[in-house]
Amino acid sequence: MGLAMQKEKFGETSRWRQVGVFVRNNPSILLIYGIIALMCILASVLNPDFRSASNLFNILRQSIVIGLIAIGQSMVVLTGGADMSVAMVARIVGLVVATIFLASNSSVGLIIPLVLLGIAVGALLGGFNGFLITETHANPFIITFGIANILRGVNLAISSTPITGVPDAYLNIYDAKIGIAPINVIVMGVIWLAAWIFLSRTKPGRAIFAVGGSERAARLSALKVNWTLAMAYIMSATFAALAGLFLLSRTGVGDPSAAEGMDFQSIVAVALGGISLYGGKGSIIGTLGGVLMLVILNNVFSLLQVNIYYQQLVLGMVVLIAVAAYKSPRSA
Amino acid sequence: MNELSVKPKLAAGRFSAFRPSPRLIRGVDLAGQWAAPIADLAILIAAAILAPGFYSPTNLKTIVIQIAVLGIVAIGQTLVLLVRSIDLSVSAVLALGAVIVVQTTSGSSTLVTLVEALAIAAVIGLANGLLVSKRQVPPFIATYGMLVFVQGARLAVSKGQASGTVPDFLRTIGFGQLGPLPVALLLWLALNGLFLLVLKYTRFGRWIYAVGGNPAASRYAGIRTDAIVIGAHVICSVLALVGGLVLSGYIGYVDLNLGSDYNLNSIAAAIVGGTTFTGGRGNLFGTAAGVALLVLLLNLVVVLGLPIHWQYVMQGLVLVLATALQGFRQFLLSR
Repeated sequence: MGLAMQKEKFGETSRWRQVGVFVRNNPSILLIYGIIALMCILASVLNPDFRSASNLFNILRQSIVIGLIAIGQSMVVLTGGADMSVAMVARIVGLVVATIFLASNSSVGLIIPLVLLGIAVGALLGGFNGFLITETHANPFIITFGIANILRGVNLAISSTPITGVPDAYLNIYDAKIGIAPINVIVMGVIWLAAWIFLSRTKPGRAIFAVGGSERAARLSALKVNWTLAMAYIMSATFAALAGLFLLSRTGVGDPSAAEGMDFQSIVAVALGGISLYGGKGSIIGTLGGVLMLVILNNVFSLLQVNIYYQQLVLGMVVLIAVAAYKSPRSA
Repeated sequence: MNELSVKPKLAAGRFSAFRPSPRLIRGVDLAGQWAAPIADLAILIAAAILAPGFYSPTNLKTIVIQIAVLGIVAIGQTLVLLVRSIDLSVSAVLALGAVIVVQTTSGSSTLVTLVEALAIAAVIGLANGLLVSKRQVPPFIATYGMLVFVQGARLAVSKGQASGTVPDFLRTIGFGQLGPLPVALLLWLALNGLFLLVLKYTRFGRWIYAVGGNPAASRYAGIRTDAIVIGAHVICSVLALVGGLVLSGYIGYVDLNLGSDYNLNSIAAAIVGGTTFTGGRGNLFGTAAGVALLVLLLNLVVVLGLPIHWQYVMQGLVLVLATALQGFRQFLLSR
C-alpha cells in the first residue's frame, strides 16, 4: 500500500524532473514556440481575421508542403548532411505524374498506381543521392546541389508550360474535409507523430542520431553507417515526392515552377527548429516549430499586406538572426 | 594495455576491407588536379569538329569575356573554399553592385559610387566571415541567409525594376579592347596574377592554406584563424562585386536575373579545378581551367543549337562529377 503510493509519488517527481530536463536540453524548441505564440498574439491584435478558424486551418494546410519536405530534410540534417535536391524531386514527381495523367485522358483508375509511381521515383532519386554520397564521400550539400541542377534541366525538358489533365477526383486530396477540418491536415498530423516516433523511439531513427553525432563511433558500434546515411536520403526524397504529389492536387496542373526555393526553406525551417546543422542534435518537434513559424510569417505578411519587395528582406533578416543566435560548436 | 593503446583510426581500419593501392591514390590525385585542363582541350578539339561557328571571332570574344567575369568571381570563391567555407551570396553581391553603380551614376560622381559599392561588398563579406568564424554557423546556411537578405535589399531599393544606364567606363571594361585583347580578359589575368602571388608568397596566402588544411593546428601555431576566414570572405565579396561591374558593362543593362547562376558556376569551377571542399588543397591555375571548362561547355550548348535546358544539365553534371571525384580524392589522401 505504502509502496504503491511511494511509487506513484516517485513517478510524479521524476516526471517533473523530466520536464525540467526537457527545458534545460531544448531551449531552442521553447524559444521557437515562444516566438510563434508572440507572433500569433501580435497578428490577431493587428488583424482579427487571423484568429478565424478558416485562417488557422489555412495556415495548417499551407504548412503541409514545406512540412513534408522539412521532415525528410530533418533526417538528412541530423546525419550531418543536407539535401538540396528536394525541391526539384518534388517538381519532377508532379510533372511526371501530370504527364501520364494527360496521356491517359485523365483516367481516375490510374490515381493510386501513379501516386505509388511518384513515391517510387522519389525513393529512386534519393537512393541515387545516397549511393553517390556514401560511395564517393563527396560533400552532400554540393553534390545534391549539382543533382538539383541536372533535375532542373530534365524538368524543363519534360515541359516548360503547365500540364493540364489531372482528374478532378485527384483534387480531393487537397479539398476533402471532415466538418471544417481538411483531411490532409489530419493526415499530416499523423505523419508528424510518426516521424517523431521514428526518430525518437526506433532503432533506425536512433542510428541517424548516432551517425550524425560521430560517424566513427557509430561505425565502431557496428551500426550500418552507409545504410543509415542512404536511408536518410531515400526518406528525404520520398517525403519530397509526397510534397510534389500534394502540390499537384493543390494547383491541379503539373507546374514547371513548382516548389521553387523549397530546398533552402526546408533547411531554414530545420535550422530555426534548433537541429544542429553539424548533425546529431535536435528534435523533429523543433522542425514543426520552424515550419509553423515560416508559414505564419507568410500568412501575416499577406494579411497585413506587406509589400512583396520588403517580404524577402524580412525573411532574410529572420534567417540571419536565427542562425547567428544558435551557436553550435564544431565537433572538430 | 596494448589493446587500449591502439589508435581509433587503426581500429576503424579493421572494420573496413577497402585498402587502396598507392597507385590508385596517385592516379585519383592526378585526375583531380588535371581533369579540368584535359577536359578543356577535349572540348576545344570536339568543338572544332562539331561546330565550326565556335571559332568565329565574335563567339571567341563572348567566350573570353564570360571566362573573365566568371574567373574573377571564382578567384574569390576559391579563396573561400580553401579556408573550408563556401560563399553562396556572390550572385546577390554581383547583382547588387551593378544596381548601385547603374542607379546612382546619374547624380553623384562615378568614383564615389564605386567606393560606395566596394564598401558595401566588403561589409557583406565581413558579415559572412563573422557569422562563419565567430558564430560558427555552417557556411552554406550563413551565406544563403545573406543571399536572401541582399536580394531583398536590392528589391526594396530598386522596387523590382532597375533603371538607369550603364556608365561609359563600365562599357569600356566590359566590352572594350586594348589592342587585340578585351579589357575584361586583361583585368582577369591581372587579378589572377595578383592572387597567385598573394597565395604563394605572402603570409596571408600561406596562412589560408594552413587554416584550411588544419584549423586546430593553425590555431595552436598562433595563427588568428578567424581573421584569415574573415579576410577570405571580404576578398570574395569584393571580387564578386568587381565581376558584377564587368558583367553589367558587357551586357549593357541591369535586370533582376543578372548573374543568378554565378553561385553554382563559381563553386563548380573551383571544385572541378582541383579545390577540395575540405579546405587547404587547390590553386588558381586549376580554378582558371575549371572556369574555362564551364564557359566552354555552356557556350557549346548554344553554338550547337541544343535546347537551353541542356545548360542546366551540363552545369549539374560538371558539379556532380567534380564533387564526386574530389570527395573520393580527399578520402583516399586522408587515409
